[in-house]
Amino acid sequence: MSRLIACRNLSKRFGTTEVLRDINLEVHPGEVVVIVGPSGSGKSTLLRCLNVLEPISDGELEVGGKRLGDRGTRKRDIRRETGMVFQQFNLFPHMTARDNVMLGPRKVRGQSRREAGELADRLLNRVGLADRSHHYPSELSGGQQQRVAIARALAVNPRVMLFDEPTSALDPELRGEVLQVMQGLAADGMTMLIVTHEMRFAADVASRLIFMDEGRILHDGNPKTLFQDPPSDRFRDFLRHVQS
Amino acid sequence: MDFRWDVVWNALPQMVDGAQLTAQITLLGIGGGLLIGTLCGLITAFRVPVLHWLVFVYVSVIRGTPIVVQAMFIYFALPLAMDITLSGFAAASLCLALNAGAYITEIVRGAVQSIDKGLQDAGLALGLSYPQVLLSIVGPLAFRRTIPPLGNQFIISLKDSALFLVIGVAELAQRGEQLTAQTGRALEIWTAVAVFYLIMTFILAMIMRLIERRMRIL
Ligand SMILES: Nc1ncnc2c1ncn2[C@@H]1O[C@H](COP(=O)(O)OP(=O)(O)O)[C@@H](O)[C@H]1O
Ligand SMILES: [Mg+2]
Repeated sequence: MSRLIACRNLSKRFGTTEVLRDINLEVHPGEVVVIVGPSGSGKSTLLRCLNVLEPISDGELEVGGKRLGDRGTRKRDIRRETGMVFQQFNLFPHMTARDNVMLGPRKVRGQSRREAGELADRLLNRVGLADRSHHYPSELSGGQQQRVAIARALAVNPRVMLFDEPTSALDPELRGEVLQVMQGLAADGMTMLIVTHEMRFAADVASRLIFMDEGRILHDGNPKTLFQDPPSDRFRDFLRHVQS
Repeated sequence: MDFRWDVVWNALPQMVDGAQLTAQITLLGIGGGLLIGTLCGLITAFRVPVLHWLVFVYVSVIRGTPIVVQAMFIYFALPLAMDITLSGFAAASLCLALNAGAYITEIVRGAVQSIDKGLQDAGLALGLSYPQVLLSIVGPLAFRRTIPPLGNQFIISLKDSALFLVIGVAELAQRGEQLTAQTGRALEIWTAVAVFYLIMTFILAMIMRLIERRMRIL
């Protein structure tokens, strides 16, 4: 009952290419799941299926107790349960940081300008950007933009946060500030699914590690155990590649 | 050859009349063109079934024929083919609107399609509906991107209005032709006509520049 995400035999095809095959996954409140895997293994597609940015080809999907395909459940109802952070930030360039964060609460939760504004100020403060709220995205560094994007996703009060390589587009010296915000969220008990190549972060913060390969979940378990004793050659090879 | 300012001075009232007509035709033309172009541009950008094929035909016909031929067709051929007779002024305005509309269609389509898909995803991921994404995100961004090419198109349309002298509309260029015939002073008259056009295109360009500056193009 307490599952926040449940997918059964979820498959995804683009034309005839099968990108996700029979994914079975349950995520419970408070879990911090890090997903790793080679490029093209379907990690982004999995996250995009979980919030229905991509329609699934087969299987079942349930998020926050809402089942895709049930009568009266719209895609939007599922998306509201999830917040998504993208590799390229995707901030709205014509809005200030504050307006970016306010848009969701205003349009999705029907909050007044004042309510949404107060919420935005709180969230920007939480990601350490209270003094940047009236800046446009083009006036912010990559790390700052990504932190605004996290605040924006949090603003609709999602039950699960999805991160798709949130630090991959950042210069190395800017990654720490974003990872720190994410670590803070984890410490506050936020349920998170994080696709990343930051193995240190995975080892330190994840409560669970998933290794994907060719559209399947190959391993799913405790990060420390998996890192210490890789159960397959594929995973061992992958770790060698990322670490070098 | 000396430059006779008195010729220019005497011709001024007629030229102002002509410039007014040019301005009216241009405003109607770009106004109508904006309506047509916005509608047709959205139809092609979102590939509205059936309609986007009609728009494709419309744009192809306009882009594939000279505007002089379009003006001749509307003014001389339409009355024969469909029993519709337009005044020179109406034919000119309609022709300019149809012509500008086709190019604006492409401007609008290009602007909408140039908006990063990631922004749409970000909006949808927040839980916005598709219409909300269009209204709050794609629309405002695309609108900004149309402004520089629109300014360009407006100036082209203003200058294109000169060729309506072929259907006898007494706009600025046609006045120039008449006045040259009356006075025999081509140098003075055409210099003055050119200056009039220059002033009008300059004003248009300044207006567009102002809008551009007030709205950050992103
Ligand atoms: N919109 C799409 N159309 C066709 N193929 C796609 C599309 N998106 C992703 N793919 C393919 O799906 C596979 C998995 O992609 P992706 O989920 O982005 O992998 P990852 O995030 O693990 O690198 C890749 O082979 C990719 O080419
Ligand atoms: Mg990816």
